[in-house]
Amino acid sequence: MSPSFLLVLVPLLPLVAAIVTVLVGRRLGSRAHLPAVAGIAAAAVVAFVLLVITARNSGGGEHPRPVDMVTTLWQWATVSDAYVPAADSPAAVPGTAVGADAHAARSFSIAVALRLDPLTATMLMIITGVGLLVAIYSIGYMHDDPGYPRFFALVAMFVFSMSMLVAASNFLLVYVFWEAVGACSYLLIGFWFQKPEAARAAKKAFLVNRVGDFGLAIGVFLLWLTYGTLDFHDTLSPDGTILPGILGQTRLADVSGYVGGAVGTAICLLLLLAACGKSAQLPLHVWLPDAMEGPTPASALIHAATMVTAGIYLIARSAPLYMACPGALVTVSIVGTSTALVAALIGTVQNDLKRVLAYSTISQLGFMFASLGTGTLLGFTAAIFHLLTHAFFKALLFLGAGSVMHSMGGVIDMRRFGGLRKLMPITAATFLIGSLALAGVAPFAGFFSKDEILASLHHKGWPSAHGEHGEHHAFLPVLPETAAAGPTLHDVGYRGVADHGEHTIAAADPVGLDALDRPGVWQALFWMALVTAGLTAFYTFRAVFMTFTGPLRVPEEAGDHAHESPRVMTLPLIILAVPATLAGFVLFTTEGLSRFLAATPSFTAPAVTATAAPAVFHWDLALQGTLAAALGIVIAAVGHLGRRSDGPQLERWLGPVRPFFENRMFIDQLYTAVIIKPVEAVAYLAAMFDRGIIDRLVRGVARLPVSVGNLMRRLQSGLVQRYALAGVVGVLAIIVLLAWRL
Amino acid sequence: MTPAVLLAAAPLPLLQNGLMVGAILFSLGLVGILTRRNLIVMFLSAELMLQGISVSLVAWSRYHGDFGGQVLVVFVLSVAACEAAVALVFVLQAFTRTGRLDSAAWQSLRESTLARSVDHEIPAIDSPLPVFPRLTPAGVSPEADADAALQREHV
Amino acid sequence: MSLFAQTEPATGSWLSTGLLLAVAVTSLAAGLWLLLPKAGRDSRWPRRLGAALGLLALGLFVVTGQRLGNLGEEAVFLIVSLVAVVSAAATITCRSPVYAAIWFALCLAGVSGVLLVLGAQFLGVATIVVYAGAILVMFLFVLMLAQPSGLAASDRVTNEPLLSAVAGAVLLGLLSLSIGRLSAEDPACCRPPSKAAALAGEPTSLVPVDEAVDLLAADQVARLGGELFGRHLVAVEAVGVLLLVALIGAIAIVSHGLEGDQAERSSLQEGGGP
Repeated sequence: MSPSFLLVLVPLLPLVAAIVTVLVGRRLGSRAHLPAVAGIAAAAVVAFVLLVITARNSGGGEHPRPVDMVTTLWQWATVSDAYVPAADSPAAVPGTAVGADAHAARSFSIAVALRLDPLTATMLMIITGVGLLVAIYSIGYMHDDPGYPRFFALVAMFVFSMSMLVAASNFLLVYVFWEAVGACSYLLIGFWFQKPEAARAAKKAFLVNRVGDFGLAIGVFLLWLTYGTLDFHDTLSPDGTILPGILGQTRLADVSGYVGGAVGTAICLLLLLAACGKSAQLPLHVWLPDAMEGPTPASALIHAATMVTAGIYLIARSAPLYMACPGALVTVSIVGTSTALVAALIGTVQNDLKRVLAYSTISQLGFMFASLGTGTLLGFTAAIFHLLTHAFFKALLFLGAGSVMHSMGGVIDMRRFGGLRKLMPITAATFLIGSLALAGVAPFAGFFSKDEILASLHHKGWPSAHGEHGEHHAFLPVLPETAAAGPTLHDVGYRGVADHGEHTIAAADPVGLDALDRPGVWQALFWMALVTAGLTAFYTFRAVFMTFTGPLRVPEEAGDHAHESPRVMTLPLIILAVPATLAGFVLFTTEGLSRFLAATPSFTAPAVTATAAPAVFHWDLALQGTLAAALGIVIAAVGHLGRRSDGPQLERWLGPVRPFFENRMFIDQLYTAVIIKPVEAVAYLAAMFDRGIIDRLVRGVARLPVSVGNLMRRLQSGLVQRYALAGVVGVLAIIVLLAWRL
Repeated sequence: MTPAVLLAAAPLPLLQNGLMVGAILFSLGLVGILTRRNLIVMFLSAELMLQGISVSLVAWSRYHGDFGGQVLVVFVLSVAACEAAVALVFVLQAFTRTGRLDSAAWQSLRESTLARSVDHEIPAIDSPLPVFPRLTPAGVSPEADADAALQREHV
Repeated sequence: MSLFAQTEPATGSWLSTGLLLAVAVTSLAAGLWLLLPKAGRDSRWPRRLGAALGLLALGLFVVTGQRLGNLGEEAVFLIVSLVAVVSAAATITCRSPVYAAIWFALCLAGVSGVLLVLGAQFLGVATIVVYAGAILVMFLFVLMLAQPSGLAASDRVTNEPLLSAVAGAVLLGLLSLSIGRLSAEDPACCRPPSKAAALAGEPTSLVPVDEAVDLLAADQVARLGGELFGRHLVAVEAVGVLLLVALIGAIAIVSHGLEGDQAERSSLQEGGGP
């Protein structure tokens, strides 16, 4: 059982399960979940084993060894001599001279290669783990749905696609599975396709994702042109030279291996566009709230834990590329933070429980982007940390919402029910745990990850405050004070030049986007993030109080459903509640995750490791975060604790800005006016052309024989003398013809 | 029979004149058959065509000095007689079925989607009936003649 | 003597001959069309104009023949053929069917004259006897039985007068063209072989040299009879049988139709034919 075999098993098992479900699902009837659950469970076990293997290989300790195991399955496509790059560009084949050297041409070759490194192992564990719990939950939730087998086939298919996405070692492969998860998402959102809103939501999700995919495609093209290859890993050319992959050890070790400037920034921004599409950031966030039309387990899996994290994964994976373009990095943070704030604002006035969670997802993803954009090791690892904890508590919250919806007979408008804590105690308790984690209350999971994000933003905003670690109180001094030989934080203005123990100063004044990389901007982003944290707590607990406190009210659609969900549904809730409570504390104090992730090749780039800092617990930031959360909870309690959920709400105090929030900042309407209506107009013109001209042409051609026939038919008058006349005229014509020749 | 006798050799002009007459008769008969609707007149035109043929055949016979043409005309004559007999029987049958001698009475061969063709703008009879002066009655008017009802005034 | 010339005229005059022929054809067509009974107001002037045009056409045809040939001296032939032609035209254009039959009788007289001029004495008489005496009388009997009093509507209109007139005129033009071509000095391949020429010893390929026949001999009727009952005996007998069959058939149809018609007559009325 070599690791490479195990690595192939992780996507393979769900794929086989999906195929089996498609083929025999109908016949299995109510047991159609078995192949999918079994496949995903097996994949989860294998993923855990891989996690252990990778952890062991990384060695742990202060300086983890980069772990990078690549398995090539087969060669998908090869075009030899596809491109002759300039001799001094990163795309040039190493060791070739300038001039017409036959070896100077790069071949376009795509190998189906999977890689195993800490980042991949972490993502695989999240995907298969949450996927398994969602699949078990769906056994109860989708119990009497006529599309039961189809759902499980789609879930298994999705787990396969997402696993391949995070395990692929080639940008083109990432693109393929990027699209695949988009397709699975479309199919799952539109699962109840007879409902027109669901069909429209699925279409919207797919089309908005398409905009992002367009960015990814152009980015991939530019990557190929710039770096001459699309592989992450280094490959060997036939004559023995190493062709450096984009994220391979060779290039990572090379100081000038990554292109900055206009081209580099363009690549990074295009990848950001792709990530915005998939992870629902501004301005491509419009699909996620509508995606709640799909079944709740699908929302839990896709739109909380896994698919939307593909964007985070992509940017984290491309960290070395981003480190060469500080302008792109600050753009990532700006996009993330503004998205987080806007989404939180919109989420405060939503009355649909699932929509609240959707906007919450967008907001939390914004946090992760903000953290990624800081460009420090802390920022990258904090983003992945938050991704991990968010996967747990958001999935927990979604599944809890599903449980509520299931027992309320499909009603999810919070104003129509209330006081459910007595009715559904397990759901209420787990939902509360998830909310505490989301709000960032210590010591739940979200507290630590959010604290790290705020810390990374603070580092960028007030760099001088973190110059020497001695100035900060270390709560848990997990590391001995390192000597000055240890890496210190660098100032911003980092330009891809790694130099330990030296502050680099920007060689020239930054231009364009790079000009945004100023402490002032980072400070503004920090305050926005803090406000968002407060808003997060507010809307989360508003939802909790409206749903679970106050007098017990059950809508009529509930019928006899209004009881606690069956054990098959509450079990995943309980299972998820455990990491939602403990994961943050455990991973933070043991530094397990950050050390583990630091062994990822992408994060071992000198540019990234130069920003490494020992993890400290920032008391002041923790205090600020907790204060913001407490404020949010208190305001929510004032407005909603113990009251009827359909009573007057706090948003009546919003005044004139209230319509903005309620109409989702009118972004949808803007898109409709600016994009959709012109496209529809063009489509209408095309339809007019098609119907008016082309159809008429075709119909005219079709009418031609009919008209000719009508003419001919008039000859058959029934008057025999006319027939005789016709005969005579014909004979005369022949005679005239013959006479002419004579 | 002296082979050298050329009495029977007819000159070309005679042939051509005869052929011309035959052609004219034939063409006129053709026009008549194609246009006239009265069954009897149609048949008369057919006989006219046969007359033209006969003239042409006799002209050729004269030109060649051979009786073959005239023999053929005899046969044409006989066949015309048979044909006339049988055809006129059919004409009478047609008349008893439809009550008129109109070839346009039979249109069932037409396309089912076409309407039956009817006459429009039938010209009036040329000569109006002559108005006879009315005399003052003198004495008793004679009885109506039974035959008079059968007599037709216009043919 | 011919309506057509013997010698080949100058090449330049062929064009105008063609033009003449075209004008003749056109005026014949127009004249026929005007003469034929048609829908619309029926006044005398179109008929008179039509008659005039017809005569003009006839004259033009003659002139064409004159161009292509010399006017013949055989006035008898001319008169007789004129009678035949004019009465034939009158037959087809006359409104009343009875008058048309009478005109046809006159036409038969003319045709008989033509046949006599051409030397077919037996046939000339047979035409009068058989046609005018038997067939025409049968027509008149039927007209007497069937023709309504006064002119029926169908006698006052014709089918496609214009197109038919044009067709007939074009046919006549073509025929006269080909007849006229006989007059030119044709190459040997196209020249109709003449028995007389064969007897004269000229080389011909088509007609076998045979005994000369004196068509104009005094006993030519007997000769015709000999030819008929000699060489064509079987055909004559067959024609006799044919006559018998036609007779029986006519009687059969009439007798069979009588019973069936009584029932049909009640259902089919005037104007409601199939």
